[in-house]
Amino acid sequence: MTSSPTQALAVAARAVAASKIYGSGDTEVRALDAIDVAFDQGRFTAIMGPSGSGKSTLMHCMAGLDTVTSGQVIIGDTDLTTLSERDLTLLRRDSVGFVFQAYNLVPTLTAIENITLPMDLAGAKGDTEWVDEVVGATGLADRVKHRPNELSGGQQQRVAVARALAGKPQIIFADEPTGNVDSNTAAEILGFMRSAVDQMGQTIVMVTHDPVAASYADRVVFLVDGKIVDELEDPTPQGIRDHMTQLGA
Amino acid sequence: MFRIALRSLIDKKLRFALTTLVVVIGVMFVVGSFTLTDSLRSTFAGLAQDIAKGADLTVRVDQSFGGDFERATVPEAVAGQVAGVEGVDRVRPEVAALNVFIVDGDGEPIRPPGPPALGFSFNPGSFFVTQGRQPAGPGEFAADNVTAASNDLRIGESYQINGPLDAEPFELVGLFNFGSPDSHTGLGQTMAAFELEEAQRFFGMEDGYQAVGVLASAGAEVSEVQARLEAVLGDEYRVITQEVEAAEQEEDFNQVVDIFNTVLLVFAFIAVFVSAFIINNTFQIIVGQRVREIGLWRAVGATPRQVSRSVITESAIVGALSTVIGIGLGLALALVLRAVLEVIGFPLPPGPLTLQFRTVVLAAVVGLGVTMVSSIAPAIRARRISPVAALSQDFQLGATGLRRRLITGGAVFAAGVVSLAAGMTAGMDTAPTFVLLGVGAVLAFVGMNIVSPVFARPAASALGRPLKAAFGVPGRLGRDNAARNPRRTASTAGALLIGLALMGLAAVVGESIKKTFDNILDNAVEADYFIQSSATGFGPPPGFPARVADEIEALDEIESVMRIQWAFSGLSVEGEPRDIVAADMSLADDHFDGQVSSGDMAAGDPRTALALHSDSAESLGVGVGDTVEATFPDNQTETLTVVAIFEDAAIYGNWLIDGALWDRHFNRNDLAFASARIAGLSDAASGVEQAALLEQSRAAVNDVIDRYPTVKVENQAEFRQTQESQLTAFIRVIQVLIGLSFVIALIGIINTLSLSVFERIHEIGLLRSVGMTRKQLRRSIYWEALIVAVFGGLLGVAVGTVFGVATTLALPESFVQVVAVPWLDLVVFVAISAVAGLLAAILPAVRAGRMNILDAIAHE
Repeated sequence: MTSSPTQALAVAARAVAASKIYGSGDTEVRALDAIDVAFDQGRFTAIMGPSGSGKSTLMHCMAGLDTVTSGQVIIGDTDLTTLSERDLTLLRRDSVGFVFQAYNLVPTLTAIENITLPMDLAGAKGDTEWVDEVVGATGLADRVKHRPNELSGGQQQRVAVARALAGKPQIIFADEPTGNVDSNTAAEILGFMRSAVDQMGQTIVMVTHDPVAASYADRVVFLVDGKIVDELEDPTPQGIRDHMTQLGA
Repeated sequence: MFRIALRSLIDKKLRFALTTLVVVIGVMFVVGSFTLTDSLRSTFAGLAQDIAKGADLTVRVDQSFGGDFERATVPEAVAGQVAGVEGVDRVRPEVAALNVFIVDGDGEPIRPPGPPALGFSFNPGSFFVTQGRQPAGPGEFAADNVTAASNDLRIGESYQINGPLDAEPFELVGLFNFGSPDSHTGLGQTMAAFELEEAQRFFGMEDGYQAVGVLASAGAEVSEVQARLEAVLGDEYRVITQEVEAAEQEEDFNQVVDIFNTVLLVFAFIAVFVSAFIINNTFQIIVGQRVREIGLWRAVGATPRQVSRSVITESAIVGALSTVIGIGLGLALALVLRAVLEVIGFPLPPGPLTLQFRTVVLAAVVGLGVTMVSSIAPAIRARRISPVAALSQDFQLGATGLRRRLITGGAVFAAGVVSLAAGMTAGMDTAPTFVLLGVGAVLAFVGMNIVSPVFARPAASALGRPLKAAFGVPGRLGRDNAARNPRRTASTAGALLIGLALMGLAAVVGESIKKTFDNILDNAVEADYFIQSSATGFGPPPGFPARVADEIEALDEIESVMRIQWAFSGLSVEGEPRDIVAADMSLADDHFDGQVSSGDMAAGDPRTALALHSDSAESLGVGVGDTVEATFPDNQTETLTVVAIFEDAAIYGNWLIDGALWDRHFNRNDLAFASARIAGLSDAASGVEQAALLEQSRAAVNDVIDRYPTVKVENQAEFRQTQESQLTAFIRVIQVLIGLSFVIALIGIINTLSLSVFERIHEIGLLRSVGMTRKQLRRSIYWEALIVAVFGGLLGVAVGTVFGVATTLALPESFVQVVAVPWLDLVVFVAISAVAGLLAAILPAVRAGRMNILDAIAHE
């Protein structure tokens, strides 16, 4: 399952004039201000920006966890703004993968049960060969019967990434997946995500404030005040830092 | 710390409300029962004074034991003597009888559903005519205003009245108020009044009066008249002043009130006990959830003492508020109960509700006390939380080890069982017995609660297995969450356990009594027809006219009729009153096989014969041929000869005498029960012949019965069915009342589930974000509730069955002989608790479903 050049050019998800407005009148806050952005298939994109720039809101809206006030959010061919709450849930289950900052796993379920959770929720058998491949890639094949509290933080996050991969979603969203761990563990997790893009052709969008983490991406998008102000291809940590300094963040 | 406690309550409004509600229910029951019974007492005191006002002094035979209607009469000659004493202006002799039923214009007997139907001689001192005139001679009667109005009785019309001896037509000549000229002070009883001599004839009390009222002459000192009367009449009689008469009446009323109070307090106790479980549970969970927060306080310098004090303060606030609300609602409950009593036939004169200081104190003891005591263990747990808890990500409170649980819980449970066993074997009707039983039950439940977490995890896993297989992830999560915190699961289930155990206990004992009764009917019943009052309801059926038995006996189709009468405290032996049954002893063995083990019931002089159950014979150390000195309620003592000893007490009780002996010592002439045998049935050669005999005799008996609307006849099959359905209905009523504790348990489950959902907010957000639908989420919570409820149900039914079997074994053989377990009922109980669990899950599940995913994920 490697990406072909044509697929690499296709768009996995995009926002069209997407705005998210909280409150009204004097207290109005534009978390997203008519954003247009597209995430290419088979690429690893990082979203960066200072606190309050709207990067998490963008991700939540793109992922169907939150709704935009105006504009469109499209995953594949589906316009999320037209979906009911139930259809949004099913879309998340079947077409989107998630990795959160921490507590990504259901504590009563074993690692493997956590990985197959979305499929189990769908009542589908899932692609067992693919699941095996994903589990193999995590390097945790011998620990899958363990419960989350028996795994290290890095292992837990790798299981979380594996869960996101297992359903072969159109796109994976990761919200500060390394925000809560030390730098070695962060490298371990980011390396795994990078290889998911390279080896499996997965599309990943990651919100982060860490230039080192963002440097694992193919492209970095910078957000300020709910607008995309800049972007950077094939970033390095130093290049990202320079950009951020310019943006006054 | 007070401010922190207050804040914590305000932040969690729903939890606060539910916990408070749980305590409120207990307080409400306590306040309601005391307020109502205090009000009843003061109402009755007034009523008793009204009744006593009819005479300055009352002369009665001095009675050492027995009921009012079993008292010996004052002979006419003595009444004449009274009238001749200096200072006596007038005498008002009176008679009264139980079971005097007026039949209304539609041919239906007027039956007060609980209070008695009474007949009186018309006493102008306490009966005040409001319409028509007082009855003046044969064939006339007057009725109380309330009975007349509610049954459309009209002056000038003739009505049949079923008395103790016979049913006769009487003309209604007047209506009266009892007690006071302005309003009728009745308690729902029907009252028919006759001219004195007519009453004596109709009641079969020609030889005397139950009491003689004395009106002192103007100017005579009542106490002097009393002294003179006492001197004239001697020890055999009592001369009672108005005050004493009122006090004694009040005493009689209060006995009924006491029973009522006890019943209400039992429910209050159950409610409070169940609440204690839920409060304890709630505070345990709250402390568990706030571990990090408490750790933070400790880190910034709060002492362990301050921490536990904040938990206690929180419980004190809940307790105080519940007490206040509970008192208010308790007063409302008293009003509701009063209205309910009125609807079911006990109209109470309106009066203000009495909230005594004692009631308020008790409410505070229950509301504050139970809440604070229940929060002690959680408070101790809270003070053990170390400051490190604030830093550590998943700090778990140290739970008591399972082994220690098994040992302590087992010991407490065993102590409870020992106390229960001691209570059951200590003999009935004594205060220490009830204390032993109560303490035993509480210990057994607490022990069970300590032990049950040990089973909670395996039981929840086992119960959840089919759910997991059948319902995928929601089933799986429901099971895991139920098994996740065995303490909490067990303690939530514990609240259900109590109600179910009591229901199970009642079911097992009831079924055993029913089976015992079945066996008696199968083995002991020889008679073909059973004649008794057609009244339905609980308690012993009222009596019916003796004439019915005479008429049936006179039928050609009938071989013999046996008449049965009985009385609580009907005779006294060795200073102890005994309940007696009177029957025709020459027929006794032919109508019901009492399993005579020695002697012969029909032998000996019926006027001095006594048959004893083997238990009584054993405790007195007497056998056939021995004599027993027995005193009757009319103060006469007789030497009775034991003619037979029997083993089955179901029909004949423990002490059986002949009707001939009864007639010599009792003024009550109505029959409690009669049985009849068909003539020639045992000789009938063929089934056809038998069927013909059955049909003819039934028709003949029915002809008689039809003339007496208060009486019914049943054959063996009908008799069995009525008895069984009455018993079943009685058990159901008790179970429904116990079932009220379900409501409290339900709130407990709502509370626990809400809290455990709250604890899992982040996890729920995660599940929702990876594609769990709202429906799936709600289902997982339903399954969790179902498992907890079924676990509680199974434990409760198991404990109830053990208690029930133990109780059945401990009850005297004369009462139950067979141990029977109503399996179907038990299954239904578990199903009921499952449904209760599902209902309780609705609110938490809907709330969980509505939770905002992003907020939930952000929650730690």
